[in-house]
Amino acid sequence: MLVNLDLHDARPLYLQIMDAVRRALVVGTLRAEDPLPSVRELAAELLINPRTVSQAYRELEREGVIYVRRGLGTFVAPDIHPDRHERRALARGVARRALVEARNNGLGVEELVTMIREVAAAEGGEPSPLPTPAIRDEEQ
Amino acid sequence: MTQPALHSTPAGRAVLVEQIRAVALALRLPAIAAAVLLGVATLLVIGERVTGGGPVGFATELALIPGLVAALLPVGVWKGEDLFDAAFLWTLPVDRRRHALAKVCAGWVWLMAAVAFFILWFLGLAFFTGGNVLGDQMLRVLPSAIVPGAGPIDPAALQIVQWSPDAFLWVAPFTAATGAYLLASAIALGTRHPLRWIVGIFFGSLLASAIGSAAHIEWLTFGPARLWATLHAGPYGLDALLTARLQSLETLVPLSNGQVVGAWRGLPDVGHWAMATLLWIGVGLMSLWAAASRHRERRRPSRE
Amino acid sequence: MIRESDSEHGGAAAVTTHHLTKRYGTDTALDAVDLLVPEGAVYVLIGGNGAGKSTTLKVLMNLERPSSGTAEVFGLDTALRGPEVRAQVGYVPERHNPGYGWMTGGRLLQHIASYYPSWDDAYADHLIRGLDLRASRRVGSLSKGETRRLQLVMALAHRPPLLLLDEPTDGLDPVVRKRTLALLAEHLADTPTTVLITTHHLYEVESLADHVGVLSNGRLIAQMPRDDLQRTVRRYRIEVPDGWEAPSDLRIASERRSRTGREIQCIVVGEERAITERLTLAGARVHEVSSLALEDAALAFLPAEATR
Repeated sequence: MLVNLDLHDARPLYLQIMDAVRRALVVGTLRAEDPLPSVRELAAELLINPRTVSQAYRELEREGVIYVRRGLGTFVAPDIHPDRHERRALARGVARRALVEARNNGLGVEELVTMIREVAAAEGGEPSPLPTPAIRDEEQ
Repeated sequence: MTQPALHSTPAGRAVLVEQIRAVALALRLPAIAAAVLLGVATLLVIGERVTGGGPVGFATELALIPGLVAALLPVGVWKGEDLFDAAFLWTLPVDRRRHALAKVCAGWVWLMAAVAFFILWFLGLAFFTGGNVLGDQMLRVLPSAIVPGAGPIDPAALQIVQWSPDAFLWVAPFTAATGAYLLASAIALGTRHPLRWIVGIFFGSLLASAIGSAAHIEWLTFGPARLWATLHAGPYGLDALLTARLQSLETLVPLSNGQVVGAWRGLPDVGHWAMATLLWIGVGLMSLWAAASRHRERRRPSRE
Repeated sequence: MIRESDSEHGGAAAVTTHHLTKRYGTDTALDAVDLLVPEGAVYVLIGGNGAGKSTTLKVLMNLERPSSGTAEVFGLDTALRGPEVRAQVGYVPERHNPGYGWMTGGRLLQHIASYYPSWDDAYADHLIRGLDLRASRRVGSLSKGETRRLQLVMALAHRPPLLLLDEPTDGLDPVVRKRTLALLAEHLADTPTTVLITTHHLYEVESLADHVGVLSNGRLIAQMPRDDLQRTVRRYRIEVPDGWEAPSDLRIASERRSRTGREIQCIVVGEERAITERLTLAGARVHEVSSLALEDAALAFLPAEATR
């Protein structure tokens, strides 16, 4: 799992880490039972206080996204369903950021929605729906 | 909320041992230089002897060496330590005054070793060249009636006295070195700019004399010089500490037959030496304590 | 002074100062500073030259005595129990000079190890390798960056509960700086440590920081967790009618007007929602609100003359 932190983003670092984990789950680079980097590793890689990583992992554990096995490390929960819940959470974040950007540029919601569709159509169609979540949906 | 377990400060003995090791490293270069000098001196002496010179005997100048080395030692001991700024020594977890004294003590340990080595070297050299420094000596003594410097002296007036060196003479180099080291360490530890003080006092004395001379004030003109003379060559002066007055008691005397010989104005006195030693070492210890106290901790803030 | 209470870190503070004042003659280096570094925090103290950052650390190490006020480290008064305080601290001083230039790096580390019973030899070796140091070279012949790294090893190897680092990345090139920060992050993961860093450039150690304090002319004008800092300083781009003046009760750090005077970009301290309301009420139309880099946000607390 690769995490990129944006120090200029107003969001607290631990939230950014949580989002990165969620994103990886949705995209599929992280799957159930996959190991996560240790607090030490991730902190050294991102050059942040390990307590921030601990905080992110604690919150994710509380939400049931990950779990800790003593002495072995941190892993993605076996029963994780990244699709519905996580996708919505991600999408909400993207939408919120887009709306803020639109507002800053003096654009209305409808204008933005229309333009999104136009640009998507012109620049190469809709992003392909991800196969893995769909299959999981069916399996359920 | 629990606090982390506090780390402890190091044991006093460990600090002293480490300071002894560290000071040894700091003094390594001067030690090598000294060894080279001694080596050269050895070669010269042996060379002299082999080419027909006499055995090595005692010279009063030699008695000065331990004291001189001791006075200069603090320069090496305190090398690299910015005492009046954020010295590295002060960042360590040891009470500052005690730490400074530990370093002084470490230097003293090596000083005693150096003095012992020096004496052994000299004895060895003397023995090797067939000289005798341990036995009785025949000394020429000036009777007190004659004032040195009043002109050539009749050889018959000189008394030849047999003198057996006292046991205390062997302790003298060690006490001399200790006394000088204590005083020099106090200066190094206690003053921010020791050189300025030394130079300042020297020129101050000269200035005082000059003013006194110009204004015809007798005590000001001669006072500083007399003061220095007493401090140095008086019965309990520095010379008593350093050389048991061997240095100041011996002078060169011109004889009426044209020769110039060394003669003694008096014989070294154990009593004087002991008093002077106690006095100067006492002064040294007190100054050292005062100097170290300049850096002490445990003060209360001036205002709350 | 703007300060946020820090409930999430519990009650214990590693470092506190109470009205700490330090004067050098007529010059006031520290003026009634009330510093609070929670345990386990990475607290970055920023300020310009002469703001008093190094003096603060020196007082904590009892290298300087306070003129008035007190300072405590883990509950120990720094002026009265200096040696015990220093036993808990790993200190990297401002000067790139650990003294004893004639010793090799390895020998100097050995020297220090005798003073700290908790010294970890294996860890010291690990740090030396990680920071690319040559322990056999004489300290006097090391470059500025190398001495800095050596000083870091000296401070970290005995795993002290408190690290006082005065400009730790000064003199380090960006590659070495990153490696140093990574080592520091690993150190924090292995050892429960509180860190107090002073720096000119917040961005150099920004990622590691979770608390920020701003010193200006000896006064601690702001002190808060990093998240609070980023949340309470925003840049607003607003459209205003002619002759519009900002309300005087708003804390505006900097202001830029367009030529026409109708568009203003200003940095304001305060919660975004409240400020936006206030500006709107005062007759401005808020077009854009953006967040700032941590360093810029911290600088917003400096008096207006200090920022452009």
